[in-house]
Amino acid sequence: MNRLKPGEVQYQYRHAIGGFFEFPIEHARKLLPSSMSPIEMHHGQGILSVMMFDFSGSQVGEYGELVLSVPVAPRLVPGRPMPRASFFPFLVGTTTQASREHAIELWHLPHFMEDIQIEFTVEEHDIRAAASQDGKKILNMHITDYEWEPVEHHYQAFERDATGTYMATMAMNAQFSENEEERGSIEIHQHPFTAGISAAGVNTTPFRELWMRDGFQTFQPLEKIGAGAA
Amino acid sequence: MAHQSDSDTGLEDQRDAGTASGVSNSDYDYSNFYYSSSDDLFAIFGPYDDWWYGTARKNGYYLFSQPMSTPPGAQINLEEQLNHQPVELLNLASYNYLGLSHHPEVIAAAKQALDHYGLGAAGSPILSGTMDVHLTLEKELAAFKKKEAVMVFPTGYSTNVGLLSALLRPGDWVILDQNVHASIVDGAILAKAQVRFFRHNQPADLEKKLRGTTGKRLVVVEGVYSMDGDMVCLPEMVEVSKRHGAKIMIDEAHSTFMYGKEGRGVAEHFGLEDEVDIHVGTFSKALGGQGGFVAGSQSLYNYLMGFARSRVFSCALAPAVTAGVLQALRITKREPQLRATLWSNVAHFRGLMSAGGVDVGDSTSQIIPIMIRNDRRILAIAQKLQQAGLYLQPIIFPAVAKHRSRFRVSISATHTTAQLDQAAAILINTLREEGIL
Repeated sequence: MNRLKPGEVQYQYRHAIGGFFEFPIEHARKLLPSSMSPIEMHHGQGILSVMMFDFSGSQVGEYGELVLSVPVAPRLVPGRPMPRASFFPFLVGTTTQASREHAIELWHLPHFMEDIQIEFTVEEHDIRAAASQDGKKILNMHITDYEWEPVEHHYQAFERDATGTYMATMAMNAQFSENEEERGSIEIHQHPFTAGISAAGVNTTPFRELWMRDGFQTFQPLEKIGAGAA
Repeated sequence: MAHQSDSDTGLEDQRDAGTASGVSNSDYDYSNFYYSSSDDLFAIFGPYDDWWYGTARKNGYYLFSQPMSTPPGAQINLEEQLNHQPVELLNLASYNYLGLSHHPEVIAAAKQALDHYGLGAAGSPILSGTMDVHLTLEKELAAFKKKEAVMVFPTGYSTNVGLLSALLRPGDWVILDQNVHASIVDGAILAKAQVRFFRHNQPADLEKKLRGTTGKRLVVVEGVYSMDGDMVCLPEMVEVSKRHGAKIMIDEAHSTFMYGKEGRGVAEHFGLEDEVDIHVGTFSKALGGQGGFVAGSQSLYNYLMGFARSRVFSCALAPAVTAGVLQALRITKREPQLRATLWSNVAHFRGLMSAGGVDVGDSTSQIIPIMIRNDRRILAIAQKLQQAGLYLQPIIFPAVAKHRSRFRVSISATHTTAQLDQAAAILINTLREEGIL
């Protein structure tokens, strides 16, 4: 873990897993503010990013988090690193009220306003995560590994609410595995959480699978970059 | 203006200290720099140059676009671009499948045309750029392909872009194998057609993607896929397309003049030449030249004459190249033993790879991928291969999926058995040293 600079916020995690799934670009556009454009996987195909975190330490303790987002064009800021990727999270679910309130206050992230449950099952070369709410399934994701290496990756996330449009920049330090072997999967169940994507024609096989373990996520102070939603 | 090398500009030295931001981008690739948002159109150049000069080039990207000073034959000379040293290499990277790019008759025909016509066509094919040699090539190629008409384009890329954008309009559907060439995708984009991709070479997924489509529909496959060297399962693709009332097009860039009893391509191989609605090919692969063509009905030719904008608004194929390609076509017809030699070489090299335990993926063709499956190590391995005297191009993400990196071997009829043995020995030894085998 790095020593924090003023204003930085850090989260430790046991596992952070992600799947990139193709879905129609028109649907990706519907999930974004009009000022943002979705990245295309192929012509006409946008990307749905599903990330699930098993946080082991933070200002609000241990918790799990499910983040649905759309990858968008990175914002270039002179003198800053080119981020590895940029995202617009359009819905976040957490397992505790404290973590939800914390993320809304600090990061202006749009949340599902009830607690969900996330269960991780780790095996030697793959990991499964099941999100549910009081026994009602939300989604299940299966991610496989490839080769592992220590990394420091830089990302951006954009948020927008009534108060403004914001940019969060973060570094992810972890043991990292990434592949496009198409061995993973997702099951999206009918649930209020998935209402925005359940009928969106999401491919059930991720074209890219990511898995970070025993890492930490360091956020720079949030920056306001524009006006809020009307 | 002449292109300046990196050492000429001094940019490389400036960037040696690393990125301006001080953050490692050693695992970045081209895809990281495709999208960006800024008020400055050129803002991306800074981060891109940081990556290119600070990391990418010295880690192996210099291996791309090294200037060759010989014909693209079995033995080549090129200037290695890291230390700017001349090197002599055994070449398994060039298309030139039948070795015709430097065939004496081809060169003589091109020289004669150069003397006769001059350097360029000096006009669009629909205005003043069409010369008698263009029409002769189209006529002889149509007879060879057993089609009513053939239209010649300046490049393979412009062939697909011009063809698809001529035929398709917004609201039409084009259903593409996910591994088709960029020119096909770009043609569909230019046409503003609705695009769906089906999983590579899977008729069941084509069926799924055709469901719910209405109106004008075109399915596009390739005869042999350029990165994996595998052949399309054409009978199934044709059956599914026809059952849904869709037209089907085959791009035989890597199979025309090689597959089939007469060399007309994979459609001939399967006996499906009449069932396929549009045939595309290129002159830059088996014929060792430049340009592309569409083969089909006279009506298709007539329509493309008016609406294939990439052809209408380009200068016609240079007459010297056209004459060289024409002679190469005549040689392929006259000398079927070239194809036999090619396939014998393919079988020999494939046998060597099999004996050495080398993973060649699903290839069944003269394109043999040597699967490395590690995006970083492949560049280091490519450097070792070059130092050992073997020229192979690494193919990495985003040209192929992450960790599906490979070397793309292109076998030619002009390779000798001794050269193939030598290349295989270098390859296998290097892969063993690197722990890939």
